Amino acid sequence: MAVPVQWYLLLSAAMFCIGVFGVLTRRNALLFLMSVELMLNAANINLVAFARLWGNLTGQVFSLFTMALAAAEVAVGIGIILVLYRNFSDVDVTRATTMRW
Amino acid sequence: MTDPTWPRLKLGSHLLPGLAAVALFAVLAVVVLGGDFGAAEGFPADAGITAGIGYAMFNLSFGDVPSEGFLVAFLTIAIVLDAALDGAVMLAKREGDGDDALTALTDGGRVRDALGGDETAGETNNDDTVDGGDR
Repeated sequence: MAVPVQWYLLLSAAMFCIGVFGVLTRRNALLFLMSVELMLNAANINLVAFARLWGNLTGQVFSLFTMALAAAEVAVGIGIILVLYRNFSDVDVTRATTMRW
Repeated sequence: MTDPTWPRLKLGSHLLPGLAAVALFAVLAVVVLGGDFGAAEGFPADAGITAGIGYAMFNLSFGDVPSEGFLVAFLTIAIVLDAALDGAVMLAKREGDGDDALTALTDGGRVRDALGGDETAGETNNDDTVDGGDR
């Protein structure tokens, strides 16, 4: 039996809001990265759900590219966290207040 | 009684900004459940979805399911991934690994603790033992 598209959108909204919750309440830079990843993948769920709704593969292919973009983002993000830890001996995002240039 | 070593849920006022996320979910749920999307078309039972995705990535039109071409996006994402890899390596490189001036200096140019007053973070130091790069 077919699942209505509303439930996919609701799942995606829940995942996105969990990501927003993490960004708003966490101070660890690694958990920040994970929360941003949750938000990105919530968008992927929407793309795949609408691909099925319209019987068109465009959304599925595009979600693959979104995943590749998320991988690039995480590579740079982990590099930034590495520099953050090197310079401040901590990954607390609220402590890095002297990053001027 | 000693503290357990596993993670514990910390409740407190630092969770208050998260209420904005809960409110956002409420708004989204009302909008999504109130919307009318019609019935899903779905895909034919004998259609090759995986093959269709592969064809769509290279602008080929042999697939059973309609899709747009993504060759330009494919090449763009390849360049972006390459640039991200270079950026990650550049960020992860230690200061003092050779005389490369491209290392990231994000400590605001403050004076290093181990080096005394005359050496600042903006200068490249070739001595690995006193460089504060890997604390």
